[in-house]
Amino acid sequence: MVTKSSSPCYRPCEHLVDYKSKHSTRGFRALQRCIVVLPPGRPSVRTLSCDEDPVPRCASCAKSHGRLYACLICSTISCYSSSSSHARSHALELPGHELAIDLDRAELFCCICNDQVYDADFDWVVVCAHASSLAKCTSFSNGRTAPPLNVYSRKRNRGAEYKPWEPSSKDPLVLERGAAPLGLRGLTNMGSTCFMNSVLQALLHTPPLRSYFLGHCHNKAACQSKVCLGCDMDDMFAAAFSGDRTPYSPAQFLYRRYLFLFSFLNSWWQHAANLAGYEQQDAHDFFISAVEGIHANSQQPELRKGNDAECRCIVHRVFSGLLRSDVTCTACGFTSTKNDPCVDISLDLESTALEKQIYASSSTLLGCLDRFTRPERLGSNERFFCESCQSRQEAVKQMSVRKLPVVLCFHVKRFEHSAKNYRKVDTYVQFPLSLNMACYLSSSIARLRHGNRLIFVEGKGELGGDNDSGSTSPSSEFELFAVVSHSGKLDGGHYVAYLRLGGEWYKCDDAWITRVGESVVRATQAYMLYYVQRSLSDESSTTIPERFNQHQTLVLDEKIGYTSLLADAVQA
Amino acid sequence: MELECRRASLHRPGEDLHKRDEPSLQEAINLKLVESGEKEKLKDLLRERLIECGWKDELKAQCRAFTRKRGRSNVTIDELVRAITPKGRALVPDDVKAELLQRIRTFLLSVQF
Repeated sequence: MVTKSSSPCYRPCEHLVDYKSKHSTRGFRALQRCIVVLPPGRPSVRTLSCDEDPVPRCASCAKSHGRLYACLICSTISCYSSSSSHARSHALELPGHELAIDLDRAELFCCICNDQVYDADFDWVVVCAHASSLAKCTSFSNGRTAPPLNVYSRKRNRGAEYKPWEPSSKDPLVLERGAAPLGLRGLTNMGSTCFMNSVLQALLHTPPLRSYFLGHCHNKAACQSKVCLGCDMDDMFAAAFSGDRTPYSPAQFLYRRYLFLFSFLNSWWQHAANLAGYEQQDAHDFFISAVEGIHANSQQPELRKGNDAECRCIVHRVFSGLLRSDVTCTACGFTSTKNDPCVDISLDLESTALEKQIYASSSTLLGCLDRFTRPERLGSNERFFCESCQSRQEAVKQMSVRKLPVVLCFHVKRFEHSAKNYRKVDTYVQFPLSLNMACYLSSSIARLRHGNRLIFVEGKGELGGDNDSGSTSPSSEFELFAVVSHSGKLDGGHYVAYLRLGGEWYKCDDAWITRVGESVVRATQAYMLYYVQRSLSDESSTTIPERFNQHQTLVLDEKIGYTSLLADAVQA
Repeated sequence: MELECRRASLHRPGEDLHKRDEPSLQEAINLKLVESGEKEKLKDLLRERLIECGWKDELKAQCRAFTRKRGRSNVTIDELVRAITPKGRALVPDDVKAELLQRIRTFLLSVQF
């Protein structure tokens, strides 16, 4: 029920107030019979027309296009334009006739104030007219029936009028058949493009990205850019989830990516070399450039900030986390903290003999993470300038995760491209299906570093606003959903993606998709691992991996051992 | 909805300035469209297409932005229309324009003048 009082921010003009005081709602209610609702739900005023002249015309100049208004008192139709307003002349001639109704839109108009005015009782009348006309009509008033909506056709689905859906006779069959998971579709290899195909498969099944693009949150039709990775992603999602199982060619994506690389990285040699030989590229590089490209084409520029940590574009909302780096002076213990945004975590594989003794071997993901977050003594040639000592000192650096992203992407650094080395590290890395990042969070790491010092209580000191993550908080639990693996040598190798859907694993080898057992996935040489927060995962596993818990405890003990050594060293 | 068409070459240059008794080609076409009810149908079609392609949503957003910037009580319909119209015209997708022009052309071919 519409409230009788008008909204506090709106003040009706004096003419409307005048009219209401004289005529109250009689005039509005009389109009209710004249208001028709034309498709697509637009209320409009139906005028009496004679056969010779079906269209309403201005009483003064017979104009029939533009804006026409009917006087509320005498029903005279007048035209309005900013240059000449017969509606205004009518109101000036006849006092009391200031208010009129827009024929096309059923809105109140004050001819003296030259602006639309609003009244709750009038709106109520329009709503009633709308409701009663909807009750009557079964098809569009112009006799046209609604065209069938093909959800995946370009440009024809954004903002279309809502039509209730009834299941057809085909739908139960589809459900019964136990069809292959949605969105599973091969990607053709267009010449060593497996590096791109494997990452695209992972992105296609990243739950928040999938929801975003399938929900048409990137409006292709309204997109201004000629070159837009967002539009290409939209196309790709539509193609992948269309139900068509024939392989899809992400040609646009490939083309755009080269354009993007060229214009944004501005590196001629890379561009020329890429195009010339379709050389194998690095899947991780592609992932980064795809993220940057989608960010750059984000349709809401006000959400895009220079600072990736605050950017609210879809890729940053999904992948962006915060890594914290603490550098502690060995002389005085002063710690300098820096937070850097990241869209993935790159993990080293190599470890020295000493490290192998102390830490769990880096041949597991957790081992790599331990190594990533362990305190690292910076060499004497890497001294940092300590503000409290005011001199260069040797320091200890420790990384931790300040803020976890929604989707956590790990990059296992298998490829070394340096001046002296150009090689691939083939070490097998074991990875869990369920991952708990709690012990790698900054709050956990800091607590371990300083023991239980009271000054570092939650919310104070250097922990800032960190959540209490000593226990397993829901947002630090992740589920694996995609693995990109590399096989073969440094040049001439091959990338495939493994996707976890509906409790099963699927190997995506360019155009060929096959279901594989979990053991195959576990044995693969992982290069990139994609984990999503458990609450968003389609596959929360219900079993608690026992060994995982044991391992975690073991690592913590070792950590405490090392850090207490450090504390002694600092105080000495 | 405005028709863009050339004036008939009946008129010599310079004579266009005077208002003629007979309607110009543009006016005649418009009249025909209106009388036959085709204009109303075309308007409906245009509205439907512009909603489908997201144009309406986009313009709505533009209007909101404009109004927000100026302050709700500082904007009149005329100012809003004047500010938004050029953007609105520019944002109409080419295929919508093409479809409507095609419809008009088809209609004109079917009509006796």
